[in-house]
Amino acid sequence: MTRPVTGRRVLWRAVTRNRRRLGAGTGLISLHQVCESLVPILIGVIVDQAIGPGDGGALLLWVAAMAALFTALTMCYRFGARQLMIAIADEAHTLRVEVASKILHPRGIRTDRRAGDLLTVAVNDTDNTSYLLDYVPRVAGAVTATAVSAVALLVIDVQLGLAVLIGTPVVLVALQAATPLITRRVAEQQELAGEATSLAANVVSGVRPLRGIGAEGAAARRYDEVSRRSLRAALRAARTQGGYLSASMSSGALLACGVAILAGWFALNGRITVGELITVIGLAQFLMEPIGLLAVVPGWVAEARASADRVAGVLDAEPLLPEGTEEVAGPSGLELRTLRYGPLDGVDLRVRPGEFVGVVPHRAADGEALVKILSGQVAPEEYEGGVLVGGAHLSRLAPADARRVMLVEPHLTDLFTGTVEENVTAGGPLDEAALEASAAGQVVSAHPDGLAHLVAERGASLSGGQRQRLALARALMARPPILVMHDPTTAVDAVTEHEIARGLRALRGTGELTTVVVTSSPALLAMTDRVVVLDGGRVTAEGTHADLAVTDDDYNRAVLR
Amino acid sequence: MTASDQTTGPERLPVADARRTWAWLRAELRGRWRAGALAVLVGAVGAAASVVPVYALGRLVDLVTEQAPGSAIVPVAAVILVGALVGGLAAGPGTYLISRLCEQMLADLRESTVARALSLPVTTLERVGKGDLLSRVSTDTAAIGKAASNVMPTMISAFLLVVVSVAAMAGLDWRLGLAGAVAIPLYVMALRWYLPRAAPKYAEERRAVADNSQLLVESMQGVRTVHAYRLEQRRLHGIGNASHEVRDISVSVFTLFTRFVGRVNRSEFFGLAAILVTGFLLVRQGHVTVGESAAAAVLFHRLFNPIGMLLFTFDEVQAAAASLARLVGVIDLAPAEEPRDGTGEPADASLELADVHFRYDGAPEVLHGVSISLPAGSRVALVGSTGAGKSTIAAIAAGILTPGSGSVRVGGAALPPGSLREHVAIITQEVHVFAGPLIEDLRLARPDASPQEAAAALAAVGALDWAKDLPDGLGTVVGEGGHELTTAQVQQLALARLILADPPIAILDEATAEAGSLGARKLEESAVAATRGRTTLIVAHRLTQAASADRVVVLEHGRIVEEGGHRELVAAGGRYAELWRAWEARTPTSSSR
Repeated sequence: MTRPVTGRRVLWRAVTRNRRRLGAGTGLISLHQVCESLVPILIGVIVDQAIGPGDGGALLLWVAAMAALFTALTMCYRFGARQLMIAIADEAHTLRVEVASKILHPRGIRTDRRAGDLLTVAVNDTDNTSYLLDYVPRVAGAVTATAVSAVALLVIDVQLGLAVLIGTPVVLVALQAATPLITRRVAEQQELAGEATSLAANVVSGVRPLRGIGAEGAAARRYDEVSRRSLRAALRAARTQGGYLSASMSSGALLACGVAILAGWFALNGRITVGELITVIGLAQFLMEPIGLLAVVPGWVAEARASADRVAGVLDAEPLLPEGTEEVAGPSGLELRTLRYGPLDGVDLRVRPGEFVGVVPHRAADGEALVKILSGQVAPEEYEGGVLVGGAHLSRLAPADARRVMLVEPHLTDLFTGTVEENVTAGGPLDEAALEASAAGQVVSAHPDGLAHLVAERGASLSGGQRQRLALARALMARPPILVMHDPTTAVDAVTEHEIARGLRALRGTGELTTVVVTSSPALLAMTDRVVVLDGGRVTAEGTHADLAVTDDDYNRAVLR
Repeated sequence: MTASDQTTGPERLPVADARRTWAWLRAELRGRWRAGALAVLVGAVGAAASVVPVYALGRLVDLVTEQAPGSAIVPVAAVILVGALVGGLAAGPGTYLISRLCEQMLADLRESTVARALSLPVTTLERVGKGDLLSRVSTDTAAIGKAASNVMPTMISAFLLVVVSVAAMAGLDWRLGLAGAVAIPLYVMALRWYLPRAAPKYAEERRAVADNSQLLVESMQGVRTVHAYRLEQRRLHGIGNASHEVRDISVSVFTLFTRFVGRVNRSEFFGLAAILVTGFLLVRQGHVTVGESAAAAVLFHRLFNPIGMLLFTFDEVQAAAASLARLVGVIDLAPAEEPRDGTGEPADASLELADVHFRYDGAPEVLHGVSISLPAGSRVALVGSTGAGKSTIAAIAAGILTPGSGSVRVGGAALPPGSLREHVAIITQEVHVFAGPLIEDLRLARPDASPQEAAAALAAVGALDWAKDLPDGLGTVVGEGGHELTTAQVQQLALARLILADPPIAILDEATAEAGSLGARKLEESAVAATRGRTTLIVAHRLTQAASADRVVVLEHGRIVEEGGHRELVAAGGRYAELWRAWEARTPTSSSR
């Protein structure tokens, strides 16, 4: 690890690694702004040189010059803006991939942010950071346009030039005083609009339960309330913006007109020509734009900076798990030595290679804590005691190596968009036996497309039971030396659960394959070699399912259906 | 006037056609014509006032050309300043009035869309699925909202300024106005060149962005699975490809846009050149003064930005119009039909289904004459294998589906589905948390419920303990974006809502199916508590529920095959006895119950 990644550094990197396109684009955009500021000057010249004196030759010449100017203007924009767009898109892409690889890194990431926040960083903040590459040329262009106009004004008349160059920033800075209020009102409006939108989505997705208890009217009324609040916020924001618009339009117009009147006075007194008068009028109007931009850009840059800070926060986050120095060497057993973490209060457990063990937690939290540690979601310093996988300490193994030996299939199943086959073969080649053992064959045959059936986002098109069976098939096809499952059959009916239990036994119950299932399902427990009962964070009973069922009333109550 | 659904497949909600959308918009505007007229009036006055200074500046140029004395500036300056001030000051109220009109129409629109979405017949919902409806009430409403607050006011102001400016040019001399109007067909051609090319590219861009975020969402929410199967590289490879596609499409969309800007610049040039050349000719012939032709040129130059704004946001307005058509399509849907053939008031809380037949649209009949009678306060369990028609009976009894033939009577009265639903509540396996404070979720069932009543309902279903332990107690924000509840907690919440809704008749359709064995037993107790004192029909997935019912009805293939008390049926040795034996075999020791 070299220097820490900060927001400033993320922005600086964006500039330096795109410097060629950024440089070319900024140059061209500045030229474009110069051309824009020459338009009002040229109008003045044409009136002065051609229309006033009625000189047809001059008209032809200057209109041709204007054609050339517009050609240059449009070309500069076209090629400059494209260079910049490529730079922005490249930077956003690079940042997205950087953030994603950091978040998905096998060693995990230490962060307080939830999945939703991380997604915002990966999608929105990377984009916002890349927009810096849009602001740089805009500032350069605005500065150039202001400079060109200033020179033109000063050449025409020093006093007029100074009046414009001092008056415009003063007006714009004064108007800036209102922006925090506008920002707040608009943020309020957007927040309430967002609230209304998500409430609408929320009640409509619950429409059937609502109608079930006759509450659709109450839900519609609740939505109306939020909608009205959102309307009031929108109107407040519109009023504020309207007030600002009045202030900015009238002060801007008064400034431009004041300058024009002053210029008219000078023209009447013969200090400047008619053409110069028109140029001054045009420039005073035109200058509002670049100077106005310069006034708002700091706000934009601050936003990009805030996004860059969040991106840096992710890129700079420490990994959760150590790199790992040892390799799994021994046979695939699993051992817990006085493990203390959260509710776990000294768990001792030894699973021999090839054994099929059930773990029955009396308190759900015990089972969850255990699975959390095994799946590598807990940093080694957060727990006490030891976890040995194939004889090696989990904390000293490379996370990927540990997971190659020990697969922990989470209870809340995650399927990914793609075909059923792509999902179940995530860990190993397609295996009919595994498909049957997990009763996923029924899921496959329930759809005409079979294995090619498309799973929608996060498996939303499947029922909970179907998702569980596909996840189980996936775990079995991976054929890990150690397989840990957590309540794998809670959403399937009892008959299927029995089939699965038998299938699991047939597939994992023989040879060197080690299996641990954390569950209170009697169907699954009946197939285990041995059952370990956890209560109060410790192992309180051990034995075969059949023995415990006869001798232990507590056990019976826990696993009773 | 009805919405046309020719453009969409059978699985989608209808989209209103252009004529119907316009008709809706016209009707809305007609209802608000005063507000609309005022907005346009204020906007037009503002635009006109802002044109006055340019006019006067033309006069100033002429004064200079005529070499008038310095004092001649005074009246011109007064006109300029008054015009600038009025024009500037009117700009705010003008856009505010337009915003207000748009926002109020939008609020009414989204409220009636949601209200209609919530009252759609369940059969319609089942046919189209929720996805389409959801995207309309959320994405489309948000798209119109954005257009209403960001685009429409500036767009209408810009439009008024363009109209007034062209009129002002024509006022100087009709030929100057005509010269300025030369640019209009060029602008239109640029737009017609751009829009059809841009629309598919924008759609492609949206799709690419959505694909990329979907990959990111899945990978991040499923990070445990990604790690467990060591899918990191595979997922990153996919994300990288999708992200690169976004990059490519964004660049190509923008390249197209720069070519559009080039065409707009070209139109600006031709308009400006036409005005200057016309001005030149008219000045030479003595029709207009130098100042007037200069004013026309400045007026036109001032329009570059408003016209650009009109052109560059045109596609947003188009998108908003498409969204509007989709919302009007929902509003035009028929609400659930209410046959008024029901008569009489229920005498008590008994429920009777008599000879009920049912088929789903175009499918074979699933219920072949089912009759079930629940005396007031009794508890009947419906048992049978998957696909026997249990859920269909539950939905018919609850007034959610209308039977093909046969009747549903409450307390002896045959009620239409609408009033049937006032007496019967149903909880299905589809559970839902309404995002917001927990107590507000409960209050959906009874809006005026006091905190004590809500707490009592939670206590009755055994949920008060965990509810009190939430970070903010009953005020804790639950559901999406808030505190995540477990499946069992969500189901308890549904049962607590049932208590608050307090219907005389309750139907539970596998309300306890999706919990682990520990949770299921607790939920069964909660369900018993929630239905105490109510006439209850339970679709029993777990046979312990059937064992505790007053009577068991066994359904197979849409027909009742057995009916009677639990002991009686077990002793009879029929289908139920068979099911019961299989159920009992699942528990480790049958003695410990």
